[in-house]
Amino acid sequence: MIVVDSVVKTYGRVRAVDDVSFTVPRGRVVALLGPNGAGKSTTIKAITGLLRPTAGRVSVGGFDLERAPLRAKALLGYVPDRPYLYQKLTGRELLRFLGRLRRVKDAERKAEAWLERFGLQRSANELIETYSHGMRQKLTFAAALLHQPQALVIDEPMVGLDPRAARDVRALMRSSADEGGAVLLTTHSMDVAEAVADAVLLLDHGRLKAMGSMAELRQRVGRREASLEAIFLQLTEEAGSQTRQDGAAA
Amino acid sequence: MILAGMRLRGAINGLRRAPARVTVGVLLLSGVFVGVLTMTRRGVRFLDAFPGIGGIAGAVEQRSLEALFTVLMVAVAFSVLTGAVATLYGSEDLPFLLSLPVNPVRVFSLKVVETYITSALLPALFTIPVLVGLGVEKHAPAGYYLIAVAALLALYALPVALGAAAALLLMRVAPAGRAKEVATAASVAIAAGLVVGMRALRPERLRHLTPAQFEQALTRFADLHVGWLPSAWGSDAVWRALRGHVSVAALVLAVVSVAVLAGVARIAALAYRAGWFRSLDARGGRGVVGVLPAALWERPLARLGPAGGVVVKDLRLLARDPSQWSQLLVLLALAGVYFISTASLATEVQRFRDVVGALNLIFLGFLLGGVGIRTTFPLVSLEGEGLWLLRTGPLRARHIVAAKFYGALPVMVALGGGLGVAVAGRLGVSPVLALATPLAGACAGVAVTGLGVGLGAAFPRFDAASPSEIPLSLGGLIYMALSLAYAVVTTLLFAYPTYRSLRAPGTFQWGSAEGLALLAAVLMVTVLWTLVPLAFGSARLARFESGIG
Repeated sequence: MIVVDSVVKTYGRVRAVDDVSFTVPRGRVVALLGPNGAGKSTTIKAITGLLRPTAGRVSVGGFDLERAPLRAKALLGYVPDRPYLYQKLTGRELLRFLGRLRRVKDAERKAEAWLERFGLQRSANELIETYSHGMRQKLTFAAALLHQPQALVIDEPMVGLDPRAARDVRALMRSSADEGGAVLLTTHSMDVAEAVADAVLLLDHGRLKAMGSMAELRQRVGRREASLEAIFLQLTEEAGSQTRQDGAAA
Repeated sequence: MILAGMRLRGAINGLRRAPARVTVGVLLLSGVFVGVLTMTRRGVRFLDAFPGIGGIAGAVEQRSLEALFTVLMVAVAFSVLTGAVATLYGSEDLPFLLSLPVNPVRVFSLKVVETYITSALLPALFTIPVLVGLGVEKHAPAGYYLIAVAALLALYALPVALGAAAALLLMRVAPAGRAKEVATAASVAIAAGLVVGMRALRPERLRHLTPAQFEQALTRFADLHVGWLPSAWGSDAVWRALRGHVSVAALVLAVVSVAVLAGVARIAALAYRAGWFRSLDARGGRGVVGVLPAALWERPLARLGPAGGVVVKDLRLLARDPSQWSQLLVLLALAGVYFISTASLATEVQRFRDVVGALNLIFLGFLLGGVGIRTTFPLVSLEGEGLWLLRTGPLRARHIVAAKFYGALPVMVALGGGLGVAVAGRLGVSPVLALATPLAGACAGVAVTGLGVGLGAAFPRFDAASPSEIPLSLGGLIYMALSLAYAVVTTLLFAYPTYRSLRAPGTFQWGSAEGLALLAAVLMVTVLWTLVPLAFGSARLARFESGIG
């Protein structure tokens, strides 16, 4: 569903993303992990069309993001890590606006359904500037799901969510994949990734260091019972040592 | 000192990251400095050598300096209100600073200094070359420069303290959580009212004074009685320093300024907590429950598709955000000043009316250009950090730009055309110009909208703190140059029928071949000025990457 093919993104001399390729198939939840500055957000922004790759291609549902951006974006739902929403609109007005923007049929009914699901109905007529961080995060989810996207891209999904909402979001990601959608999430929470992801991608210094299911990753590090956190630390430490050695050799 | 050092380090690091911007800024400031210095020196020389002015030249200069101080103090007082609310209550670093084991009075002293710098720095930088020019021309001793600059800094501290105190009061009395909005709206409304009021006094009436009346007015103006206005203390301190004396006024000014700033910092430290609780109270919301359907007015717009949706959203944000709708007050003030000024030129002679009417075409273009820089140019940038919602949707950059264009177009065309009709009617121009004026206004409305939205999209400032900051960019300069160029080009095109109707009234008809050709030329220029910037802006916005999402 989401195909990232040899994507490179450079800022001046810095290669933020360096020849990264992966696929997020339908029916799967894939977690994109990596330390701070690994290139996760840049990759996500390239997938959502907020950044243009320096090289390589991204397609969603078979539509190339460069050649057919509107058809590709019509299939995408996106939840950014720091979602800015128009402060002077109410929650209901924001969903109505996005319904018009995406030409969603029966948008009013769908918006009400999402507001109810996230427990935002009572505050839906209030300005977003009065919402707490968690309420904004929930509204962003409602906004991303309003048009029933086939591919969902979520950057740090659990930030600011209360335990009940966090549980709902986990279930939502799972059900979205089970209904045939593709879900790509980035997170620093290894527990969340381990709980919901069918496959893990490990990005470090802009390069894809590892990918596969938990079983495949455990096999790679040679530890059968290793948690995702242990695998993450081991692989990123190896990558760090390699980088330091390369630096010393240079 | 540690806190101030930290802020200074942050500012220096910020400047280091943008060397090109710093260079341009320094060059611009140097240009302004040299320009103001030169003008001041010439002005002083002119007054000193003016025949017949005799012994009152110095008094006139001192009074002029006092007037300059008064005007700039008023400017500082108006700009400080919103800045003080934002700095004293809304600074992002305030919770961090107050969590440190530091006396809150020190934290708020730093914030008052920040308020001072943001509000008074530019007026001070403008005034310093005036004082230097005065000192050079009057061969002032070295100590003069020190005293003059100190007096200046002390003088601007007073409106800063006054504005900051008003901001603190506003935090107590304005609706909870709305102090900044109320402050913005109040500042703009008062400033706009003052501009219109001052223009309505029609200073050009001075032209009709006899030489004796003018001399009398000048003598009254130069009457040197140091009153209670701080600007009089300031100019008195500067003038005495020119002769090598330190005046009592200078000392009083310095002491009062430091005292009021310190007092405001102390009050702010006490008042902060109460304001914080009030802002928390505001989170209670409006309490309207149930499904509120779309308003009637938005339904036809919504049928226009995504672009209509963007227009509805923009109109809602405009109505709810005082920093946006207050720009419309500025627009109304400009239109008022323009109408009053033009109406004062009405005359009995038809040919002269037509000459004024023809000249008015260029002023109308300038006016709409000035309106556009505050209304159409910021439209794309006003999306701010919310741009990700549009960019991740199935919408091309050109759709975003088009939505902004269509949203602003009716307002600008109505303004241009309406002013054209009103001014042509007030001046009583001939039928040829009676059609040309509204047409020129409406066409300028279209061109200015295209130019503003297009260049605003090409040079966006999504991180601007307020709409008034957005045009302060290279794009804003290009916009101003091109909008002036449009006014000149279309006025030149309209000059021919004006010339014909002056030479041989009644011989030019808009329905003739040459009339239609001229109309076609005006329309072509307008289309060119509209579509090229829109296409350029769309292409640049499509490539825009940083600072979104």
